[in-house]
Amino acid sequence: MAESALTRPGQRERYDSKLTQINWVFVGLLVALTGIGILILYSVGGMNWQPWAYKQLITFAACLILMLGLSLLDLRGWLWLAYPVYGISLLLLVAVAVHGSVSHGARRWLDIGPIQIQPSEFMKLAIVLALARFYHDRDAKDANFSLWLMIPLAMIGAPVLLVLKQPDLGTAVLIALTGLTVMILAGLNWRVIAAGAVAIIPAGWVAFKFLMHDYQRKRILTFLNPEGDPSGDGYHILQSKIGIGSGGLLGKGLGLGSQSQLNFLPEKHTDFIMAAVCEELGFIGGFAVLFLYGAIILMALRMAAVSHSHFGKLAAAGATATFALYVLINGAMVMGVFPVVGVPMPLVSFGGSAMLMVMTGFGLVLGVRVHRYQELPKKDSFFSRLFE
Amino acid sequence: MAEPSIVFTDVNERQGAFHRRAFIMGGVVAFGLFALTGRLASLQIVQGSKYQKLSAANQFNFRLIAPPRGNILDRNGKLIAGNRPSFRVMIEANEVKNIDETLDQLSYILPQTLISRRRILRDINQNQRSVPTIVAQDLSWDDFSRVSLYANDIPGVVADMDWMRAYYYGGAFSHVVGYVSKISDKDMARELAQPDADADLLHHPSFRIGKQGIEKAYDKDLRGVKGGRKVEVDSRGHVVREDPAGSIAPKPGKEIVLTLDADIQQRAIDVFGTESGAAVMMNVHTGEVLCMTSSPGFDPNLFVSGIPSDTYKLLHDYEKNPLLDKALTATFPPGSTFKTMVALAALENGYDPNITHTCNGVFPFGNHVFKCDQHHGTINLHQAIVTSCDVYFYQCALSMGGPDPVARVATKFGLGQIFDIGIDGQKAGLVPTLDWKKKYFEKRNPANMRWWPGETPSFGIGQGYTNVNALQNCVMVSRMANGKKAINPILVKSIDGVDQVSKVVPEDLPFNPEHIAFVHAAMADVVNSGTAAATANLGLGPVKMAGKTGTAQSIGAGGGRTAHGAVGQWDRRDHAWFVAFAPADDPKYGIAVIVQHGGFGAAAAAPKAREIMRTALLKDPDIQKRIVGVNILDAPPPMGDATSTDPDTAAGDATTPAAPPTT
Repeated sequence: MAESALTRPGQRERYDSKLTQINWVFVGLLVALTGIGILILYSVGGMNWQPWAYKQLITFAACLILMLGLSLLDLRGWLWLAYPVYGISLLLLVAVAVHGSVSHGARRWLDIGPIQIQPSEFMKLAIVLALARFYHDRDAKDANFSLWLMIPLAMIGAPVLLVLKQPDLGTAVLIALTGLTVMILAGLNWRVIAAGAVAIIPAGWVAFKFLMHDYQRKRILTFLNPEGDPSGDGYHILQSKIGIGSGGLLGKGLGLGSQSQLNFLPEKHTDFIMAAVCEELGFIGGFAVLFLYGAIILMALRMAAVSHSHFGKLAAAGATATFALYVLINGAMVMGVFPVVGVPMPLVSFGGSAMLMVMTGFGLVLGVRVHRYQELPKKDSFFSRLFE
Repeated sequence: MAEPSIVFTDVNERQGAFHRRAFIMGGVVAFGLFALTGRLASLQIVQGSKYQKLSAANQFNFRLIAPPRGNILDRNGKLIAGNRPSFRVMIEANEVKNIDETLDQLSYILPQTLISRRRILRDINQNQRSVPTIVAQDLSWDDFSRVSLYANDIPGVVADMDWMRAYYYGGAFSHVVGYVSKISDKDMARELAQPDADADLLHHPSFRIGKQGIEKAYDKDLRGVKGGRKVEVDSRGHVVREDPAGSIAPKPGKEIVLTLDADIQQRAIDVFGTESGAAVMMNVHTGEVLCMTSSPGFDPNLFVSGIPSDTYKLLHDYEKNPLLDKALTATFPPGSTFKTMVALAALENGYDPNITHTCNGVFPFGNHVFKCDQHHGTINLHQAIVTSCDVYFYQCALSMGGPDPVARVATKFGLGQIFDIGIDGQKAGLVPTLDWKKKYFEKRNPANMRWWPGETPSFGIGQGYTNVNALQNCVMVSRMANGKKAINPILVKSIDGVDQVSKVVPEDLPFNPEHIAFVHAAMADVVNSGTAAATANLGLGPVKMAGKTGTAQSIGAGGGRTAHGAVGQWDRRDHAWFVAFAPADDPKYGIAVIVQHGGFGAAAAAPKAREIMRTALLKDPDIQKRIVGVNILDAPPPMGDATSTDPDTAAGDATTPAAPPTT
């Protein structure tokens, strides 16, 4: 395929040949994973397509088409969009802070006519694009350790602070970790990484003491001592562990999980859906889902690595990093080894906007693979002139 | 800028760094997922069984089923205490968000809950959250169906049927069978401290605890063992499914059959009418108590669902004291009924029954003049019993020198004793002796430690220190009727079908049968021609009663009589006694009747004893045979040829051999 593409100039730009460059095995894994999720949504909905499974199926179908469409988008398009998308996302976050609508005690949503949007979701991808765009123009020395690094730090810091303000600790941590992952992948000096890792402990203590909201502090205390709060979050963690543990090797069977069917599991269709998977499908099912996640993440990283452009590599790897962080944090939370933060299990948990962002990210990853031979020139942006 | 877009060294450096780090990132993710898999295996496979147990504990719940309390039956299987259905409404506080709102809604359907609102709120606060609170019970069918219709629309309101203790004879058995009521904090603490306590059952809103009589004494037997309804619940405790296969049926409480006869008991409480007192009847051969009633009774059903405090106050303040068990707890001076003991003791001490004394109404002794009701003239011992002459018995008692010889006899006959009949509340009473007096006054008043000769005459007529309860006097007259064995009273015939055999073998009565026969004959003449002749004649042909009247001063021996007999202020009148057995020639039943402040024994107590005894005798097939010649149950139906079994001739035939012996 690649040979013929090289032999005929212009061949790569044709959409039919681009379609053949899409990693269909990867798409198949995504379908399989989401399929398991829909199965479980069908089960926890009381063996009914309503209220969740059907919606999830439709959303996924739409997102799948969107992802395939995005994968055909020229990388120059992504490059061109990177800063504007970040800028708009940041503005929306500011707008939320100014007059977002409040629900469950947090100001996270922006009402635009009939629909509500959550700009912090966009930011998860926008930060990746913006950082990739930034590092694309910088050489290895700049990325390693230089004054230039003030810019990505600021790019990460601004949305993180805005999201923390909402307050939404989970998303803020996710944005921060995603951004840091891109910085590390871009070549951040190991000594800086090590220093940062050491600094996390006092920084965390300061954050815990002075910056966190009461409910956030409580969640962390509860995580450290789940028995101290048997009715609130401690209860949720315990019920989740009971759900998982009682599934045993083979599970209780679809629709037969007492913990999920009788509502002992909190948020059984969203954040705690892994507990329902493990309860009804057992260790076999839980392992299969984790294995699929592992395969998807490693394949996505591989796709990032084959790109010829630095932007493509970083953007695809950054999008994968977001996904991987979702999986690890949610998995650890459901199994009681991480505090309860509002992070869904991507693709499996019910929810449209998370699905949209994940699939957009994978559209980027697939696009990077499709356009892997594309060379992108280093361009001067206003950041370059700033330091001349 | 204008430079070539790709500087190879730079690109290679950047690419090299990226590839190394992407590889590390892949490794970190793989490790993370591997760790999560390990955690999953630990939860699901290593600790799986632990979490399966916890999951089942979440999913399944046992809802307590209260066991039906054991029935209490009379000797013929008539239900005295059972359980009846009661429709009730409860509030499950767990399910209610705003209790005031719920009660408002409920009061539209059941206006009466408005009145008890404060009580309901207090109960809800006191109960455990998981225990439903009873809002109203004993609803009419109309109310119940209305609530049932709307209960689904008011969260937390449940309408169901419960079993409630029911006492079918009202006040007739109120003291001996007792009653149940809601468990008090004090009882709860005591019950919970017991090793076999079942806290779930004790806290259940349907649970009732026995508070008096049989209900209290046999509470553990009557309670039964709780059952459980296995249900599947969701996280909010709503029942999702029932699992009948996993449910455990409650074990009903044991059935207790009493020796009491409901017909006799009912007759006894009836004949007392508005009067205060007690009647106890026993089989003189077996000791089975056929009747033990205290009047006035109270309706034990009042206590089952909680007696209103003003109702309780009315019962408590009534001067005839319905809450007091006068058969066991109240003691009275035995009065002239005690003369049977004095006479027997005298005979056993070699007293010649033919000794005569002359009674002209007074007996001066020391510096005190003892009185008698009438001028009995010159009489012997037999006549003295028949006419109940006090003057004779003053001297008869004095002839024995003091109380001890009589007390020895009286003790053998059961006075001053507590019997093992299973229930609480017996007072021992007192038969004084020289030793008792010494001990009693040693501390209190050493000057009064010796027995003064002047105390003997009143002792001889059952006054003074002597005090007995109705059960003891019944045992006394029954042992007298038996003559050979010191039979003991028993109240419980069987528990759960197991006969309750008394462990105590009755002792022999070490008295000369001739002396017993002498007292029997005198008691028969009391009814034939003596003090109770007009009031205690059974009217059952050959079946006669033998008895002894008693009129006991209600005010202490030294206090003097202010309201003799049935005249004057009620609570200063004399107590009326009658003890009797029947048939006089072949005793089967013994009875003691005390009418508190009833006046004369012959007038107040004897007619009641007569009625009660008639009821017992007429129920007894053997006695019926004697009265009408045939057993009524065996007799052919009264038809045209009834002449062949003329009851008069049959009764006449039976009369001849059944003539009472005379002495």
